[in-house]
Amino acid sequence: MLVFSLTVAYTSWQMPQRVEFGPGMGFLPFWLAVLMAVLSVLLLFDASVRKSASTGNPFPAPQALLNVGMVIAGLGVYIAVLDTVGFAVSTILYIVFLLAIVQKERWLKTAIVSLLSTGGLYVVFQVLLDVKLPRNIFGF
Amino acid sequence: MEILQNLLTGFEIALSLKNLAFCFMGVTLGTLIGVLPGIGPVTGVAILIPITFGMDATTAIITMAGVYYGAMYGGSTTSILINVPGESASVMTTLDGYQMALKGRAGPALGMAAIASFIAGTFSIIMLSWIAPVLADYAVAFGPPEYFALTFMGLTLVTGFAGDSLIKGLMSGAFGLLLACVGVDAISGSPRFIFGSIYLLDGLGFIGVAVGLFALAEVLVNIEEPLKQVFVKTKLNMKTLFPNRQDWKDSAGALWRGSILGFFVGVLPGAGATVASFLSYATEKKLSKHPEKFGTGVIEGVAGPEGANNSAAGGAMVPLLTLGIPGSGTTAVLMGALLIHGIRPGPLLFQEHPEVVWGLIASMYIGNVLLLILNLPLVGMWVSFLKVPYQILMPLIVTISAVGVFATDNNIFDMWIMFGAGIVGYVMRKLDFPAAPVVLALVLGPMVERSLRQSLTISHGDISIFFTRPISAVLTTFALLSLFAPLVRKFWRTYRRAKMEQ
Repeated sequence: MLVFSLTVAYTSWQMPQRVEFGPGMGFLPFWLAVLMAVLSVLLLFDASVRKSASTGNPFPAPQALLNVGMVIAGLGVYIAVLDTVGFAVSTILYIVFLLAIVQKERWLKTAIVSLLSTGGLYVVFQVLLDVKLPRNIFGF
Repeated sequence: MEILQNLLTGFEIALSLKNLAFCFMGVTLGTLIGVLPGIGPVTGVAILIPITFGMDATTAIITMAGVYYGAMYGGSTTSILINVPGESASVMTTLDGYQMALKGRAGPALGMAAIASFIAGTFSIIMLSWIAPVLADYAVAFGPPEYFALTFMGLTLVTGFAGDSLIKGLMSGAFGLLLACVGVDAISGSPRFIFGSIYLLDGLGFIGVAVGLFALAEVLVNIEEPLKQVFVKTKLNMKTLFPNRQDWKDSAGALWRGSILGFFVGVLPGAGATVASFLSYATEKKLSKHPEKFGTGVIEGVAGPEGANNSAAGGAMVPLLTLGIPGSGTTAVLMGALLIHGIRPGPLLFQEHPEVVWGLIASMYIGNVLLLILNLPLVGMWVSFLKVPYQILMPLIVTISAVGVFATDNNIFDMWIMFGAGIVGYVMRKLDFPAAPVVLALVLGPMVERSLRQSLTISHGDISIFFTRPISAVLTTFALLSLFAPLVRKFWRTYRRAKMEQ
């Protein structure tokens, strides 16, 4: 499994970087890409030689992986809607999502934490640091 | 005497009410970050960059450096009380510190950790204030080949020391350098690797990458399985915190050796506080009259490593300030922060921005005193922070990171960079790729490329320019040698084993 995941990771890493540019500005990237390619081959070789010593798949069990995926997906949605939904609403919703759904906390605790931390962030960034946080069409 | 004069000016700057307040804030946050497992100094400094963005450069760097060495203090608390290192540099402290706590001697262990941190920290700042200006004077004469050799050496040393696989370290470094190539080429002025996006013209946002790679990736790793915490219950008050006379006698030697060792390990690019604490523990065990007692709760095992990691934090400032070469992940992030403030660390820093350098150095003296005060009487308060469950902390770290990254440029695109870097960082961590070389290479990348191409232009494409000038020859050779260091180590080990079997 380790060898397999490494193979996938490294071959995909190699491909887009093997691009040559004009001399000068393409100089460093090109040689870096060559270096990366050589290293990937070395690593693959190394991994296949030490196959017996490898300790299985480094990624966690499905349940944990699901959690990781949910945090990432939630963050993606959060960033995507931030500009239209506004800072306050989307931040509260994201924290609620993280606490109540990903970590299965009780709802009361979730509500308190999400309100307090969103408020705290607002005070620090908008009031103290004078950052213009995104607002929705209703102005919050 | 010039140094004393400079230090005095530094103190004048650092003692202004604003800087003092932010120094206090920095070390307090640093202690907190050190205490909380699952969030380390790199993450803390990375998250702070956006927040310090609006400050002037001196105040910003004072705050962020405070987080860095403050975390070295805080990390010991968790190690001793719950056997979980608050950050990687405190791993060694768990060995004897936790055992001491189990024996009901948590107080002296915590007290000694704080005092050792203070003594070693102060020692390394004194060394820093004497050595750094001399080194900077010397480095002013460097030309492009020397710079290339120097940055090259910094990169190879970090990749060599980071993680256990040289190949993976090198790949991380090369990956970081490639990331640094994104944006407008500094010499010809034409864009490359921007994939038609105007946001990428300026290069990949450093803050986004750093926060994603460290803060976000750390959250993702931690969410997999929640930490289980078991407290050792102890009464903590002023009386129980002070080590007794026997403790002092036992740890005095360890403390001094740890301080000196830590400083020099910190100065070396690539080896940081973590390596320093490991080395110190190993040294003490070797020198001790009763090595078999190590791991059962001897106070030397706390004093040495705790001293060493603080001393290393000060030592790491030397290459950062004088040469512009960060030696670790945290200092790389610090350097990125300085660059964002328009300040380029390096030999000229001492002439161009003496207020930043000396203000920072003076603030470190003050910060250490503040930390001693914060950590001795108030240790009980920090312990209560440990009871904040990670479930609540996690959303906070994610949202602070996200909003912070947004706040630097009011730019949602930077958040996407953080998002991507977070996923890359998570995968890298799972596959045992060190993240520090990526950030280091990203920060140093433009400098490496410019000095490399300038040198080759000077020499008309002749690569021997790096070997014919004395300083650059030494540095380049050293860099190349360091690449083979792990191989040598491997051979040495097999050789030793073979010898043992005879």
